[in-house]
This record gives sequence, structure tokens and C-alpha cells, in this order.
Amino acid sequence: MESAVGVTVGAVWVLSAPVFVFCAAVDFLDRGPDCIPLLVSGLIVGLLGLLVVRLSSFPSSLPVSRLFASVVSGAVAALIAVTVAHLATDTSIALDVALVEAAATVTGTNASTLNADSMSLGVTLLRALGQWLSAGAIIVVLVRVMPHLGVGGLDADGGVATRSARRLAPRSGSTMARLVSLYIGLTVLCAFAYLVAGMPWMDSWIHSFTTLSSGGFSTRSGSIGAFDSPAIEWVAIVGMVVAGTSLPLMFRALRRGDLHRFVRSVEFRTYIGLILISVVACIAWSDTWPTVSDLRHSLFAVVSALSTTGYLAGDLESVSYGSEAVLLVLMVVGGMSASVAGGFKVMRFMVLGRYIRRELRRSIHPALVGKIHLGRSVIGEVALSRIIGELFLASMTIIPIAMLFSADGLDLEAAISFAVSSLSNVGFAFGLGGPDGHLQMMGAVGHLAAALMMLVGRVSITPVLVTLGGVGEPLQQKVRHMRRTATREVLR
Amino acid sequence: MAAAMVLSVFVALIDGGGGGFGLTAAAIVTGGIGAVCFLGSRVSPSADAALAFASVAWSWLAVSLAGTLPFLFAGVISWAHFDDALFESISGFTCTGSTILSDFGAVPQSILFYRSLTQWLGGMGLVVLAVAVLPALGIGGLDLIASEAPGPTADRLSLKVRDTARRLWLLYGAATCILAIVLFLVGMSVFDAVTHAFTTIATGGYSPHAESIAYFDSFVVELVVIAGMLFAGANFSMHWRALSDGIRAYGSVSETRWYVSLIAGACVILILVNHGELEWFQNFRESLFYAVSLGSNTGFGSSNYVMWMPAAHITLLVLMLVGGMSGSTAGGMKVLRLQVVIRYSFRELMRARHPSAVIPIRLGSGTIEEQIAAKVVGFVLLYLGLIVTGGVVLSGLGVDPLTAFSGSVSALGNVGPALGEAGPSSNFLVFPRAARVVLMMMMALGRLELFPAMLMLVASLRGLGQLQRSREQMK
Repeated sequence: MESAVGVTVGAVWVLSAPVFVFCAAVDFLDRGPDCIPLLVSGLIVGLLGLLVVRLSSFPSSLPVSRLFASVVSGAVAALIAVTVAHLATDTSIALDVALVEAAATVTGTNASTLNADSMSLGVTLLRALGQWLSAGAIIVVLVRVMPHLGVGGLDADGGVATRSARRLAPRSGSTMARLVSLYIGLTVLCAFAYLVAGMPWMDSWIHSFTTLSSGGFSTRSGSIGAFDSPAIEWVAIVGMVVAGTSLPLMFRALRRGDLHRFVRSVEFRTYIGLILISVVACIAWSDTWPTVSDLRHSLFAVVSALSTTGYLAGDLESVSYGSEAVLLVLMVVGGMSASVAGGFKVMRFMVLGRYIRRELRRSIHPALVGKIHLGRSVIGEVALSRIIGELFLASMTIIPIAMLFSADGLDLEAAISFAVSSLSNVGFAFGLGGPDGHLQMMGAVGHLAAALMMLVGRVSITPVLVTLGGVGEPLQQKVRHMRRTATREVLR
Repeated sequence: MAAAMVLSVFVALIDGGGGGFGLTAAAIVTGGIGAVCFLGSRVSPSADAALAFASVAWSWLAVSLAGTLPFLFAGVISWAHFDDALFESISGFTCTGSTILSDFGAVPQSILFYRSLTQWLGGMGLVVLAVAVLPALGIGGLDLIASEAPGPTADRLSLKVRDTARRLWLLYGAATCILAIVLFLVGMSVFDAVTHAFTTIATGGYSPHAESIAYFDSFVVELVVIAGMLFAGANFSMHWRALSDGIRAYGSVSETRWYVSLIAGACVILILVNHGELEWFQNFRESLFYAVSLGSNTGFGSSNYVMWMPAAHITLLVLMLVGGMSGSTAGGMKVLRLQVVIRYSFRELMRARHPSAVIPIRLGSGTIEEQIAAKVVGFVLLYLGLIVTGGVVLSGLGVDPLTAFSGSVSALGNVGPALGEAGPSSNFLVFPRAARVVLMMMMALGRLELFPAMLMLVASLRGLGQLQRSREQMK
């Protein structure tokens, strides 16, 4: 059967089997309890994947809607695989809990109902690796697939995925490999830095996986704050900033050894500027006189929110109202385009700002054409309307989801901030007195809604809706056909 | 302005309460300054869009400044709290209805009357602004109204605006009179009936009682007020057309259908959410009242919705955000724009599926131009951006985020009450002093549909530049 969806799903399952086996091996060495379940679930998932791949073949022509569907189904397939692992290892017994945990793993969100301390090493490693691998997959999709689809203006001609994406596109086969190796290299470097900063060996690997993927899972329930070490926090800060930076940009800057490229990138300047301004705002609005550790904690929280990692250090319970609002806004903004971070991306907001300015100008000079420039490139009108459509659709999803959250026991502030946080794949939110615990507070409805929201945030809303439309299409055609024949009958 | 204050003086005399002297003094000062300014300047021969924006915006500001005087002279608010007087005045003239008065018993009746009158006058200016001036200038895509609901809109500003204004004011005044009479018939005193009619038709929401409409505790009064708010939140040029065409005039406008279904939908959601929390009839009554009150951005209160469930608050927040129809006195970003934005987003979805398709944006039975859609989208983006900025700044000033963001929505949408601590049975003294200044600016911005207010600065700067240049030439 020709089906791109089948090929994607099968490939994801086949590729995830070795990861399961690897985690099972680690758990075996650690003498953990989850070795056999992991091995078995890995084998099941792998065999299923093989079966699906054998049954389906890559289609000769691939319409856009199918491509969308295969991107979404790839994410869903990963979700199912991780859910199976959670259920098999008894990490979570209820299906909804397993689903939301899997969603958090696949989308790189640091929201969990489980206690990280009580998990076996194998499962912890599986979750961290899941975040790391799916972030790697996102890079591939962002640079290789999305430009063809033009999702949310991230297309090659719109230049929103930076000029780099356009330049990369033709030769992306080899560049893709280089980007991935850069990602791996950075991860190794980060693990080494953690190790030097005094983290245990295994923890530093796991944290490095979740830092560079902007995922945020930790081996401790207190996240990075549990280590209580300034050095580790500084490493995490740098790692998160790197995770929020555009990979193609880093790649080109490092390849030529031309660090000046960072300064020349408008988006990077804005990204760093945003961090600095937010830190200043957080400090200025806090009630006490700032100390060095306050500065570090503010920087940590700001970077964690902006890069949508979701690590925690210091206590977020005592942040001032102003910092809370700033952090929420930063979550929505997210990292740079073509980075692994979630959120709406700095670049798109810059484009929107310029769009508003143009419309203001146009209200005085109605005949103004006003092309929108970003750095040296011009943003096309098509890309513009895609960005805007994406923003509106995404923000419209917040309302019903927040209502579901509040129906399931969260208060207003907690519901809205957690909806925003899960849409941006961050994880921590406000309104409960603590940064996490939102998922624990809720029942099955809230869990499913949160899982959906995270997924929408990760693959962005347009593919999800187009896929849903595609699922509905055969039905729609059938109804249309029936109606047509019915009218024909009547006419006779 | 002076005339309005004199009217209030009469009320003071009839009522026999205090405040008469203060109002008289204020009237004299305002009238004097106004006369000097009027005689001292002449109409410039050439008026471009920016200048028109600027004159609208500046005159609004001048009126609000003058409007503070009665509060100050009558001693309701001390001179040291000039900003509070300005807040109350701006809140009045922008038809917002957020108040900083906490003790209504101590305020003379005449001042309460004057307060309602400011809203009514603000609404009067607004009707013309919303129906005739802004669409003609094409602010934020409001030229759409003309395409869908032909009525007394001005095609050419300078020629027709006077005529249009006269007709609209006639309608506005008549509606107020009818409402006042009906309110009187259902049991309000003359004073209450008139003041509430003023603020209902202006979608303002000031009430001479701290409890707002809840003071009367009568379902009939609420129904009348609901009808008034629904009327005031709808397009006035449509009302004008309905006078000749009958009820069909409403049905033919797609925005009306959206407006009514939005409020009805919100009402149903509120009833469902409040189910079990409130007794059946009480639930229906309060849900209906608040759906209409916030959907038309009036902001009257019939109970304290702060006690409701969080899901209800989200519904209310959405209503506040969207507001009434275009061409009405209601604030918010307007149903029409919501319509365009939703159509626009779903068009993008269709385009993602069929990349090379050319799909027009439909609105009602027609389609709209890309340029106008771009204007609408630009407006909505700016609107949302300002709400977020306002929310962040307010929370930075020490307000809890919920109150801050809802206050920001409420001020920019000219609603009145907010959520959190600033609910309908509270007042805006819960915001610190600096935050109230921010709120004031947001109210003015929201009322002037953002763009004129922004351009007012541009035009003024340009005017200053010209002045300097001519001076240099003189030398």
C-alpha cells in the first residue's frame, strides 16, 4: 500500500527500538527493575514498525496535505512508543498519565506528574533521550520539510527561517548531516561542562540531553536547583541560551570561525537583547535589593522560559508579579527560528512588529507599498499572512484548553499560564504557589488536553489542523457525493 | 462642555445638595478657556489624514482635562489627587466606567449626574467618530462597515459629516429618552432613570450606586437595561436604516448575526459553567446580564462575578476583548474585526492545503480586499500587543497578574470592571497610583481606536517641526 504516513510511522518505531534496547541495557547495568519491560516493549515497537514499513511503500507523488499528515503522524507515533514504555514499566499505570508523560517527552516539555527521584535509571534515560532525539528530529523537519510546506511562514522564500535556511535548502542533504553532527557535538560539550562543574557522570549526560534539546527533564525532582551549585547553574544557563539559538546560524559562524556573524544576525541581537532587558526588568521589579545569586536566578528563569527549556532553580514561588508576567511573555516568544526551542519564535514577532509599523504608516499614506525588511532580506506577503494565520490560530486554541484546565480544577491564573506554558513546551507555570504540580492537580481531561496542547505547540497548529481536515476529507467527499446524487434523483 | 456643567448645576439646585458652587466655577473656567482658544485659532485650509487624527485625539484629551474641574472644584477629589480626577474624567469621556470613587454616599448627586453626563457626551462624540469619521479615514479597516451596512456613513468627510452627525444625534437622543422613560416606568426614580439611560446608551457603565444595577434588585429593570445595552452595542447606522427598512435591516448584516450569537454562546457557556453553583433562575439571570453587559462593553454589575468559576472568567475575558459591533459606542476590538481575523486565519489553513489556490476572504455575502484585511489584522495585532504590554507593565507595578492583564483588557476595551481584585463590586483604587496613570493612557488609546492616538503624536511632532522651520525663515 502506498502511504507516506505508514512509512513515517514505521520508520519512527523501527528507529526507536534501539533506543529502548539501549536504555534497557543501561538499566540492566544499573541493576534497575525496568530492564525486561523496556526490552520487551522495545522489541514490540520495533517489530510493529517493521511490519508497518513492510506493508507500506513510499508513494510516487506526495501532495502537500499528505506531507503534513506524515509530519503529524511521525510525532504521534513517537508519542505512542513512549506511552507504551511508560505503561510497560509501571512508571505510570493510568493511560492518561502515560499519554501526557509521553507527550512531554516527545515535545520537550518539562511538565510531569511523576517524581523524578523514584524513577529507575532506564526510564529516566529513556525520557531524556526521547527529548533529545525528538528535538533532533524537529531540526530535520524544520530545515528539511517545513520550508517546502511553508508552515507559519517558515518557508524558504519567506526567509523567516533566516537567510541561512534558503541557502541551506538546495544542498540540504549534506548540510543536514553537518547540522546534526553540530547538535551532537554541542551535547557532548555540554555533558563535559556539567561534569567539570561537579555533576555526577550519569546526571551530566542526562541533563546535557535535556538542556540542548530545550526539553527540561531532570534526574532530580528539584530540577537543576536540587544540585545547589552556582557552577552547574551557569553551565545550564549557557546551554539553554545555545539551545535557543538558531542551529544553521551557529553552524555557519563556527565553520568559518567568523563569530561576527552572530552580531550581524538581527534575530540573534534581538534574542540576546530580550534576555538582558527581561533580566533587568525582573531585578528592578523584585522587592529586595538584588544580590549576585538573585541575578543568577533571574537570568536562569528568564533563559529557561525564553528557550522553553523549563528547568527550575531558585524558588519561583517568590518571584514578583512583574517577573511572573515577563516570564509568561517570554514563554510565548520562545527561542530563535530554526532552533530546537518551542514558542512562537523571536523572528516571527519581529516580523509582526514591522507589520504593525507598516500598517500605521499606511493609515497616513494609503498608497504606500511598504515591503517588510528584516536585516537584508525582504519578507514576502505570503509568508507574512502565514505567520499571522499561525499566530491567531494558536492563540485561539489557548481559550478552550484553558477552560478545560480550569474545569478540571485549576484556578484562572494557573489554567491560563499552564495553557501558555504547554503550548510553548516550557513546563513550569504559575498560580499554584509552586512552579510545577499543575498536572498533578488535574484529572484525565486536563491530562489529555495538556498532551494535545504540547503536541500542537511542537508541530505547530497548521499541520495539525490540516491533517485533521485531511482525515475528515473522505467523509466530506462522501457526503457531497451523496447529496449530489440525491439532487440528481430529485431532478429526475 | 460648559453647557453640560451648567445643566448639572441645575440638578444640584433641584436636589439641594452640595456641589453647585464647584460646578458653576468649573463651568465658567471651561467656557472662558474654550472661548479664548476658539477665537484665537483658525481652521487650517488643508487637512490631511494625520491632521484629522490629531485634532480628534487632542480635542478628546482637552475635554477630559476640562472634565476634571467639577470633581476638583466640588471637593469630591482633592487637588493633590489631580490624577484621580483625570482618571474619573477620562473613564467618563471614553465611556469606560472604571471608577475610583469608593464612598458614593459622600458624593453630591449633582456630581454623580455630571459623571453620567460625561459618558453620555463621550458617547455622542463617539457615535459620530465610529460611524462617520473613522470609517471615512479607514482606520483599522473600519471602511468595511460602509461596504456592508450602507447607512448614514460619510463618504466625504468634510461635506457630509455635519449632516450625518445631526441624524445620529437625533437617534442617540431619542434612544436615551425612550430608555429613560421605560426605566422610570419599571420603577426607578427620575434621577436614576436618567443617569442610567445616559450611561447605558453610551455603553459607559457608571452608575450612581456603588452596587450598580444590583442596587435595584429587580429582574425587570435588568431586562430593560439588557435591551438598552444590546441596542447600544450594535451599529448605529444600522439602527438608522432599521427606522425605514424595519427589522430586516438587522438580519442583512452578518456582523449582527455574529454579535448576537457571540453573546448568546457566551451566555450558554456561563449558564453551563455556573450550573450547580447558583440556583437555576439566579444563574440564568446573572449569566444573561453579564453576557450582555460585557459583550457590549458596558460594564454594569448585577452581582459579583469574581466569585464565579474560573472557566466563566475566561468567557467574560473573551467578551471584554471582542466588545460590541463596529459603528457603536461599545469598545473592544469589535466583532467585525474578529470576523475578519477568523476568516483570515482559516483562509491560511486552506492555503496551506492548496498552496496555489487563490481564495478570497469572505465576509457576509461579499468578499473583502487584501488591503483592508491587512489593516484589520494590523489593528488586531497592535491591540493584542498593547494588552500584553499593559499587563506586563501593570504587574511590574505590583498588581497581581490576573488583575493586571484583565485590567489591561478592560481599560483598552473601555469596559469598566476587570477580574481579580478589580471586580464589579470593587473600584480601581486597588491599582497603585502609577498603574492608574497607565490605565488612563490605555483607556484613551482604546477609545481612539489606537491608530489616531498613535498618529496624533506623529502629526503634533510634525506641526512643531513646521513651526520651528517657519520661525527660522522669519529670522
